[in-house]
Amino acid sequence: MGNQFPRWTNWIPLKIAIMAVFMVAGVSLGVNYYFTPKYTKVGYEPTQPVPYSHKLHVGELGMQCIYCHSFAEVSGHANVPTNQTCLNCHGPDKGQIKKDSEKLAMVRDADKNHTPIKWAKVHKSPDFVYFNHSVHLNRGVSCQNCHGQINEMEVVKQAEPHSMGWCLDCHRNPENKLRPLDQVTNLTYKPEDLTREAFYGNLAARGIKVADMAKLVADEKPESLPQDMNQLVALATKKYGPKVTQLEVGRQLKEHWRIAPPESCAACHR
Amino acid sequence: MKRVWQHPDESNTDRRYWRSLGEYANTPEFSEKLGREFDPGLAGETDEQRESSRRDFMKIMGGVAALSGLTLTSCRRPLQKIMPFTKHVEWIIPGKPLLYATAMPRPWGASPMVVVTHEGRPTHLQGNPLHPSGAGLDIFAQASILDLYNPERAKKPVNGGKDTDWSHFQKDLDGWIAEWKKNGGEGLALLLNPSKSPTRAGLLADFAQACPKAKVYEYEPIHQRNYDAAVKALLGEGVALLPKFAKADRVFSLDCDFVGLDTLSETATRDFMKRRAPEKKDELMNRLYILENRYTLTGGISDHRKPLAASLIPVAAAVLAEEIGKLAGDPALQQAAAALAATADAKLREWIVPAAKDLFENKGKSLVLAGSRHHEAVHAFALGINNALGAFGATLEQLKVELGYKPADIAELKADLTSKKINHLVVLAESDPAYDAEDIFKTLSSLDKHPAVTHLTDRAKHTTKFSGWTLPAAHFLESWGDVRSGDGAYSVVQPMIQPLFDGASVNDVLLSMLGRKKFGGAAPVVAKDAAPAKPESDASYEAVKAMFTKVAGGWDDEKWNNTLRDGFLAGSAFEKASASFKSTAIVSIAAKAEKPAAISKSAMEVVLTPDAKMWDGRFADNAWLQEAPDPITKLTWDNAAWISPKTFAALGLKKDGDFIKVTVGTVSLNVPALSAPGHAHDSVTIPLGYGQKSSNVVGNERGFNGYALRSGSDSFVLNGAKVEKADGNYELAITQDNYTMEGRAQVREGTKDRFDKNVDFAQTEGMDSHTPPAELTLYKGRVGIKSKENPEGFDYENEHQWGMVIDLAKCIGCSACIVACQSENNIPVVGKDQVARGRVMQWIRMDRYFSTSGGVEDRGVADIEELENPEMIHQPVACQQCESAPCETVCPVNATVHTEDGLNAMAYNRCIGTRYCANNCPYTARRFNYFDYNKRNPLIETKLPLVGNVKNLYAGPLGEKTQNETGRLQKNPNVTVRMRGVIEKCTYCVQRLESAKITQRRIGRDDKNNLRVPVDSVKTACQASCPAEAIEFGDLANKESTVNRWKDSPRNYQVLKYIGTRPRTSYLARIRNVNPLMPSADRKVKTGEASLNKA
Repeated sequence: MGNQFPRWTNWIPLKIAIMAVFMVAGVSLGVNYYFTPKYTKVGYEPTQPVPYSHKLHVGELGMQCIYCHSFAEVSGHANVPTNQTCLNCHGPDKGQIKKDSEKLAMVRDADKNHTPIKWAKVHKSPDFVYFNHSVHLNRGVSCQNCHGQINEMEVVKQAEPHSMGWCLDCHRNPENKLRPLDQVTNLTYKPEDLTREAFYGNLAARGIKVADMAKLVADEKPESLPQDMNQLVALATKKYGPKVTQLEVGRQLKEHWRIAPPESCAACHR
Repeated sequence: MKRVWQHPDESNTDRRYWRSLGEYANTPEFSEKLGREFDPGLAGETDEQRESSRRDFMKIMGGVAALSGLTLTSCRRPLQKIMPFTKHVEWIIPGKPLLYATAMPRPWGASPMVVVTHEGRPTHLQGNPLHPSGAGLDIFAQASILDLYNPERAKKPVNGGKDTDWSHFQKDLDGWIAEWKKNGGEGLALLLNPSKSPTRAGLLADFAQACPKAKVYEYEPIHQRNYDAAVKALLGEGVALLPKFAKADRVFSLDCDFVGLDTLSETATRDFMKRRAPEKKDELMNRLYILENRYTLTGGISDHRKPLAASLIPVAAAVLAEEIGKLAGDPALQQAAAALAATADAKLREWIVPAAKDLFENKGKSLVLAGSRHHEAVHAFALGINNALGAFGATLEQLKVELGYKPADIAELKADLTSKKINHLVVLAESDPAYDAEDIFKTLSSLDKHPAVTHLTDRAKHTTKFSGWTLPAAHFLESWGDVRSGDGAYSVVQPMIQPLFDGASVNDVLLSMLGRKKFGGAAPVVAKDAAPAKPESDASYEAVKAMFTKVAGGWDDEKWNNTLRDGFLAGSAFEKASASFKSTAIVSIAAKAEKPAAISKSAMEVVLTPDAKMWDGRFADNAWLQEAPDPITKLTWDNAAWISPKTFAALGLKKDGDFIKVTVGTVSLNVPALSAPGHAHDSVTIPLGYGQKSSNVVGNERGFNGYALRSGSDSFVLNGAKVEKADGNYELAITQDNYTMEGRAQVREGTKDRFDKNVDFAQTEGMDSHTPPAELTLYKGRVGIKSKENPEGFDYENEHQWGMVIDLAKCIGCSACIVACQSENNIPVVGKDQVARGRVMQWIRMDRYFSTSGGVEDRGVADIEELENPEMIHQPVACQQCESAPCETVCPVNATVHTEDGLNAMAYNRCIGTRYCANNCPYTARRFNYFDYNKRNPLIETKLPLVGNVKNLYAGPLGEKTQNETGRLQKNPNVTVRMRGVIEKCTYCVQRLESAKITQRRIGRDDKNNLRVPVDSVKTACQASCPAEAIEFGDLANKESTVNRWKDSPRNYQVLKYIGTRPRTSYLARIRNVNPLMPSADRKVKTGEASLNKA
């Protein structure tokens, strides 16, 4: 009896198996990418009722975040400003800047009719997540760390996934993000722009001993620790290179401010 | 290596603690419950019924699944809006709670409180610690916030059954005012509850001037008229008495529930209980004797208690008066009491004599109190005894009070109605006179043409049926007002929110009747003597400011602001009075007392008492109170007649809920009976406030109306009642066997003698006498303090470590903490049906134990004699926050884990509802959401196609889903509202802890030595609410914290310590200060004395 099936059919099971591997890999890669906040949330850019430009106000005019989001440093909730805040500059009886602009009509109406402007919510955390702005801002986490380069956005969009894993990345290794308190609302901050003298000097001015700072810089060889600021700067330059690095800043701040971000559920879920 | 844990045998003590008669007799029903996680007693449903409802459910679900396949929901992200204020509101920071001090007006004064508001919504109430008489809050004050959000509140002025608006009422009112001007208010009658509000008193005085012929009547359903009359007769007009419990070493109570429902001063509980928690040996304690017909909370904390029929209280008062008269050499008192005292039986006298001796030996430091509603003679005797004991000026302070207007009482109202002197009755009382003073309205409806009735009310009540105009009343959190507390401290009641439903306060109505306020948008007329006011200012606000000016002796901005901030005006207490005591008057009052009626099986007494949840009935629509278990009987959603076990058996009743028929005179009432240990025989107690009709399903037709039994509106002890068994059984939802822990010395108590001899007796009682070393535990997890040897332990250096201590010596069992917890943590109400199935959600369970002699060994048939007078002790149990928590090891999804600060945390969004944790919790502290109680109204029925009416919860997705929209406003935004299928439990108010830690980090910023929350600055909701200050909470890692001091107390013990869960909550043992001379020998062994193990 001859072969019922041609010879090439012997390869079908193997081909199917190889295909299946690719399919499964493809699907899981797809799900991992398309079904996670990295894809579903990042880039969300709803149209706002008033064409307010962060790029203009913050990036070009250099306004402080806290001028409008005035309670971000004291409350868990970073408030959206009232239209009174807008009218401080644009108001007919106040700053008078572009007081008749068509784009500001809704703000003026809101003031007149006492109907709030309905801003579109961009960054939304689930109801069971209790995020607190104030504790982050007061402990060296910047607006930019979570909201991205707002100063470059014409229309605000979500820059980071804001997923639980993303939060925990930072809670586990805060040294990658921490910065000096006076740089928290500086959206163009780069650690390289700091000078070592000023950075270590400021820490020393808050009562932190040179020896303690040096211990963190030279963690491998603790015998010959520098005793004054010059030696410390020299040591840091030797270790981290000519420019200040994020890790250098972050490790000092984490240790000396005792940053120990909670990792237990109760920190965010109640 | 596997280790098999052998539970050590329970050691023998001479006291036995039990929670229900079922447990006492060890009935099979009880043992069945004990082994189960949730109460299997499915409310009168058979297996078959259950099966058919399951099939119905499957049928419906199948249909729904098919339908839902047809529609595909959109995958787009919903657009959400943020709406900022248009004009910024002063003080409000979005996301931060704002706290305001105010006070709740009460019949006896005020409950000073702090209101937590979130963006303008009041969400939680707690005691005001700054106020001189501020401690916690009682259960009523605690729950009153829910009344604000009652969806069935009166929302609009109603005229003759039709909704109108305030401007229509104003039109009518203008007409009336013109008429009153002409005739001086002839035929106008105002009916109010007495109040301690100076502004209201001022307005009523103004009103008396404006309408001299109008009459003002005042009444309180749960009144103190007899007491007031006695004080007036013996001390003269304008004197009020304030007991000073802080100075009282010996207290004798004649049926006065002063820590419970017979409030004499705001501070009674706090001051009295403070003296009952000795820290070291030989510390002085107070001692309490009590005679009462039923168990009350005061009876529960007493050192000596004797059940005595309420009709015999006058006799007991006379015997005590006679004995004290003898000892103190006060022949007048002795003679006045002689006649009545002669009728006393020998046993009663035998009990009173040593107590009298004890009181007299502590002359100047002792105090006798009488229940408010007893006969005037009882109060006269009590005052006479106090006088003989030198209590005036020492333990009983006299205060000068002045009312400023002269109200008539309700008997006069009845007379005036019958003689048709009244043509317009304005009811401004908060209570419901047609329900609780029924005979007045019976009179009213018997008239051929009854007078016009205008009724200011917060909800539709019985009185509303008679009224032409029904006006919506404002809640005290919505209106301006003022009030004086018992000692006279002046508080301003400030509004937290604009009236939700357009309500007006009593002051508003009085002002409008005086023409100083116009309803319906017209500008108010401002009083001349008020402080500078803005044009849009509210008339009530101006009236309060005017009164403040008077009380403070001149307007002062700073004083006013301080009063608003602190909640009281400093230095505004009443002046002390020193009226001389007219002891001669006692004789004439004593003569008024009738010989006590003989109480027998055929002529029992019926005692009507305020209810521990409904008070006089005004809280009927409050679901938290309805579901809070009665502190004594653990009954929810109903009332029942309390009867002693002996009488219960004699009546031929079989089980709780069997109907009895109570006949007093011509009226009879069928009411379910409850067997209540410690109750006097042949006496029936019926708590009032139930059996109302209400438009809210919460309060509609719950329980049985005790008011109906009496003929007048005055008496609370009804004699000559015929009580017989009636047919049928009523299902009562009693929680006492729910969540039962298997018992091994959970409550610990001892006498003061025992404590003085062996201060740490509590630590070696029960199983703890052979507890394994602390490191040995059944459950893994980190334990102890982190160190080199114990790297896995808790970090006491850098973290907070939270802990709690509950002092059983101070806890009275009032259950205010349950409601406080419910309010703070968004805990849903589940309804009677679910309660009966053992699904109560309250995170705190108030265990009520009775104790009798007889160790664990002689569990046998119930010994009726022994049940005559057991002792009672309460123990609140919530999650104990075990360090090595049994629940955590069994959670398959890590939804319950430990935090670095020692909390046993719950991540609700992670919980999948396996309930393993609840099964493994030895304290049964976890609750499961069987249904979406927050979304679906558990109290109603839904009509379904094909199936018909089903209970809403069981209607699945077809049920009513929009429960109580207004109630949502009360929810705490910082706590997740849990959904179906999720376990929940106490978290030590983690939201408060996190918020405190965050605030401190915000303050500390880059200073690593300033990250610890200030000592004792965080309070849990239960702690802040506790009127006895029995709960202490704080940071164990902070050496200065009070909670550490409590933990070091020799009375400190952990429940179920021997299983090694290392709970963070511990308890302090109760101490009773027993008088060895008392004939309490009827209790076979002295309280709590442990005998040496026989083994």
